Amino acid sequence: MEAYRQEIIVGAVVIYMIFCVITGLWAMRRTKNSSDFFIAGRGLGPIVVSLALFSSTLSGFGFVGGPGLVYSIGVSSFWMIVISSTGYALGFFLVAKRIRMIADVRNCISLPDVVAARYNSEAVRFLIAVTIVLGVMGYLATQILAMAVVMQAILSGTQMFADIGLVSCVVISSAVLIFYCVTGGIIASVYTDVVQGAIMMIAGTLILLTAMSVFDGGMQEATSIILADDSETIMPFGAAGIMASLGWFFVFGLGLAGQPHLVTKMMMNKKISDNRSILPMSLFGYVMAALLWVSIGVIMRAAVIDGVIPPLALPDDAASIFLSVFTNPLLAGIVFAGLFAAIMSTSDAFLNIGTAAIIHDIPKAIRGHSVQNELFWARVVTVILAIVAASFALYSHFQDATLVAILGAFGWATFAASIFPVLAIGLNWKGATALGAVSAIVSALLINFIVQLAGIVLPYGILGGLIAFVVSLLLFVGVSLVTKKPELDADMEAVLNI
Amino acid sequence: MRSKLIVVIFATTVMMAGLLMAIVLADSVPNGAGLAHPEFNGMQAGGDGGARLKHIGSLAFAFQSLLLVLIVCLAALGVSEQRRSTELWAYLGGTLLFSLFVWYQMYSSHQEFLATGTTDYFMGFPVATAWQVYGTWLGAIPLIILYTVGFRKFIFTEEDERKYEQLLEEIKARSEQ
Repeated sequence: MEAYRQEIIVGAVVIYMIFCVITGLWAMRRTKNSSDFFIAGRGLGPIVVSLALFSSTLSGFGFVGGPGLVYSIGVSSFWMIVISSTGYALGFFLVAKRIRMIADVRNCISLPDVVAARYNSEAVRFLIAVTIVLGVMGYLATQILAMAVVMQAILSGTQMFADIGLVSCVVISSAVLIFYCVTGGIIASVYTDVVQGAIMMIAGTLILLTAMSVFDGGMQEATSIILADDSETIMPFGAAGIMASLGWFFVFGLGLAGQPHLVTKMMMNKKISDNRSILPMSLFGYVMAALLWVSIGVIMRAAVIDGVIPPLALPDDAASIFLSVFTNPLLAGIVFAGLFAAIMSTSDAFLNIGTAAIIHDIPKAIRGHSVQNELFWARVVTVILAIVAASFALYSHFQDATLVAILGAFGWATFAASIFPVLAIGLNWKGATALGAVSAIVSALLINFIVQLAGIVLPYGILGGLIAFVVSLLLFVGVSLVTKKPELDADMEAVLNI
Repeated sequence: MRSKLIVVIFATTVMMAGLLMAIVLADSVPNGAGLAHPEFNGMQAGGDGGARLKHIGSLAFAFQSLLLVLIVCLAALGVSEQRRSTELWAYLGGTLLFSLFVWYQMYSSHQEFLATGTTDYFMGFPVATAWQVYGTWLGAIPLIILYTVGFRKFIFTEEDERKYEQLLEEIKARSEQ
């Protein structure tokens, strides 16, 4: 079996991609209007929503960047994942019920639709839509690039594709992504998410078992090796220190309820009461899949320190080298399919919300109505958005990484800082005002942009995103408290009373 | 009358901002955010743990404690005002105490290691890290139980569902007129 390692890995990835294409074709027959395309007609069951929710949370970053971070900075990066239980809980307490109700009452098909209804403000809709578009471009470009790099690494190990270029890999991987997103919209996305989520859970569990067998003394031997080398790395705050760790706890914990690609999925379930089972199921799936992040990182750092394997050229090589050195080919095949699943499940969610912002929300905020024939334009813009993001990805790789890096700053932390107060607090506090919301969004965008562009490094590893989040929270509540309490429409008043 | 809860949330955030400011202005140390590993390229090392907590340890402890208060207050905000009963507050108070206990155990176990240089292990990790990995993950379980088991009591009661259905019917009737 070892002799066919590369072929088995390629086979697993090809089977997975064929599945995505077939799902797209199947979902196309169920997609009859823009509501189906963007929010699956609000008719999904709890298992589908649970798997879609957690698989969209854990992107390619979780499978490649996560183990790389543990290799590089140790336990500091654990804070991004151990907070998931609190993050999911807050997301459901603060957002899940009311976003679903407002979507129903006002027939909303996007997150900007919901905030526009809540604040009765097109300015808030516009700012949230622009934030989403900027964030989506950065996220999508990095995801597509990651997908192409991994595909090139896999294919170049075979005789037939030994010389395959990165551009070809971007084209192949983007084509599959575009195909199922365009044909089946969010219905294809969530049903591929179901399989993607299942693969990620299986991969996480099997990798943990493999990782524990690398050293005779299991995980404890690995952590002892790291402790003897540099104790702080394996202590609770890791190499990056206490403030970086607590900053990630804050931004990833509270911020989950501000991620547009996640909260949009909370609008898609058939019944509000399904939320009580969606929460534990999503969290369980996430924890199982995240085992991979923790276990590979710890084992690879210990293995390098102990001289079991040579030092890695780059921290992000941790996962791929672990798979090639320590796992059997079948497991490697499943995990690589899982990696593509993680990247694609996040990418399709971003394509969907980015398209909604462009064809539905920005025109509505400017002209008062969205484009005619939304379903047709949704498909056209999905293709254009993916092509532009893929072009950004290639430009960044071959010419200049600055543009994608700037757009990348509009990632998790910016969404968290700009959307969390407006959505998560705003849906639960009648005193929240449009001016408070505008202040929060603008301050979050400005602080993140300035910290990124000026290359400001704060002491003790304090994140710029943490500062932006705290300032945005303060401005949102503070400005709302000092401005006149808004007169809510009767239906919004009723929803906020329930 | 303004909800007192939002004022508590605001006050907590103000205090956290003040602590952040104090940490930014505190004396810095070279390894505050880690150093390059002396031997392996691509790895960071933490170095002297005691030195990097010397000026900010207690401020950071207070910051995280306030964050845990903020989390519980936000969870309460997610429950309708009329359902915020004494029972709910007692439960949330217990949740907060549990989270603070986990945080204290994590921080104090780390301090103990810094003082003695030795540690026990629990399920593969040094004790302080085990509190972080398992304790923090499990620290939110009371909130998840509250949401799932208490869904019909605190989050979306039968009465809420009836009101919601009625609202939808009224909207539908209005749009048909």
